[in-house]
Amino acid sequence: MKWIGALLFIGTTTWLGFEWSQNLTKRPKQIRQMKNALQILEAEILYSQLPLQEAFETIAKQIPEPSKTLFKSMSVSMEQRNIEFVTTWEKAVEELINISSLGSNEQEILNQFGRTLGQHDFTQQQKHIQLTISHLERELQDAIDDQNRYSKMAKSLGFLCGLFIVLLLI
Amino acid sequence: MREILRLFPEEIQQAVQVKLLNRWDKLQEIRLRLNQPIELIFDDGIEWLLTSKPTRKDGMYLINQLSEFSLYRLEDELREGYITIEGGHRVGLSGKVNTLNGSVKAIQHISFMNIRIAKEKIGVAKSIIPYLYDNGYLNTLFVGAPQTGKTTLIRDVTRIMSTGWGEVAAQKVGVIDERSEIAASIKGIPQHNLGLRTDVMDACPKAEGMMMMIRSMSPEILVVDEIGNEKDVDALLEAINAGVVVVCTIHGQTLDELKKRPSLQPLLHQSVFQRVILLESNRPGTIHRIYNEKEENIIRQPGVLTR
Repeated sequence: MKWIGALLFIGTTTWLGFEWSQNLTKRPKQIRQMKNALQILEAEILYSQLPLQEAFETIAKQIPEPSKTLFKSMSVSMEQRNIEFVTTWEKAVEELINISSLGSNEQEILNQFGRTLGQHDFTQQQKHIQLTISHLERELQDAIDDQNRYSKMAKSLGFLCGLFIVLLLI
Repeated sequence: MREILRLFPEEIQQAVQVKLLNRWDKLQEIRLRLNQPIELIFDDGIEWLLTSKPTRKDGMYLINQLSEFSLYRLEDELREGYITIEGGHRVGLSGKVNTLNGSVKAIQHISFMNIRIAKEKIGVAKSIIPYLYDNGYLNTLFVGAPQTGKTTLIRDVTRIMSTGWGEVAAQKVGVIDERSEIAASIKGIPQHNLGLRTDVMDACPKAEGMMMMIRSMSPEILVVDEIGNEKDVDALLEAINAGVVVVCTIHGQTLDELKKRPSLQPLLHQSVFQRVILLESNRPGTIHRIYNEKEENIIRQPGVLTR
């Protein structure tokens, strides 16, 4: 009986460790996705001159989950016209953060970006998009560093922690 | 009138609705000035919405609604100073202007707005259309001060000409809509009913537009709003020489006053216009005189014709 409990416990901690390491690997990928999305947005604004709602719709079609969620939900809520843009954006960003591996830094960057969206002329808007992309780029570097440094460790740490506690308890 | 109301934030929307009730048809303009009461201009007077003074936030709300949260799309509109919205209504803007090399780049801080309600009055030109026809349409000039209904009239004339009336068949009509007032197009699609056989060149300079239209669309009738400078007049003469019938409007009070304008000399001296229709000031849509090419008044019954 004791052994089964111990095995289960070690199993759980190992799983937690893997989850953590998964998160570390997914984060750079998702930041890259977000950068892609912003590049598409820039093109849609500058060359197609689409309104934001339609631009969001196009982006949602082109990028994978989870970043898709943000643009999808924005394009849906913007169909209804009398909304407060900034609050809607922030809500959608929060939703994205909850379901993705993105962290609070990314949330802050995206929120800041939302406040500039649609309030400027072409050149200004482009500058804001570029700025956001470069912010994300920095986060991406950090995320890659974190991944290299901790992802392998996270995997073994989960297992070892479990083992350690089990040994203590026996 | 939803397309106008939904531009406003909730509170103002309600205030306007309460004040207006069912007088939309008499409303000409809604004027907003930041931190000032809202002004409503009716056909028969001015009223104020003293309770609601728009703040900067309300102004932002309006601009966001106008641009669909995408201000960058309004670059041209912010340079021209007006935005055409669904239904052909027109929102005029004023505020702090940004310049680039001495010419206007955009209006930046928009603090004054004037929502002009489009008056599409189908059928107003019915009673004058027989005067414009004598075995074929005649070159016609509408003369009137601002706010006398020239554009409304010319729009309906366009509609009737391109759908036909009585025995007269529909004609191909080309509209050069430099100020987007006749057709009030959004993305090239007219918001007003201009009839079946009408082609519109939207936001195009008149002189060039007339030539483009003649070359590309082979119109039988050209409709132009607000001719003024020499280039317009030259293009107009050229169009007439090309065998196209021209219908246009001009700002002015009387025929004598027009004759004094140097740029119009070639037009009036050659008696190009077989019909000149004079509109009365202060009473929108009222015909004062209709002259033929010999400057004889041919209207049978002066006064209200168009209501």
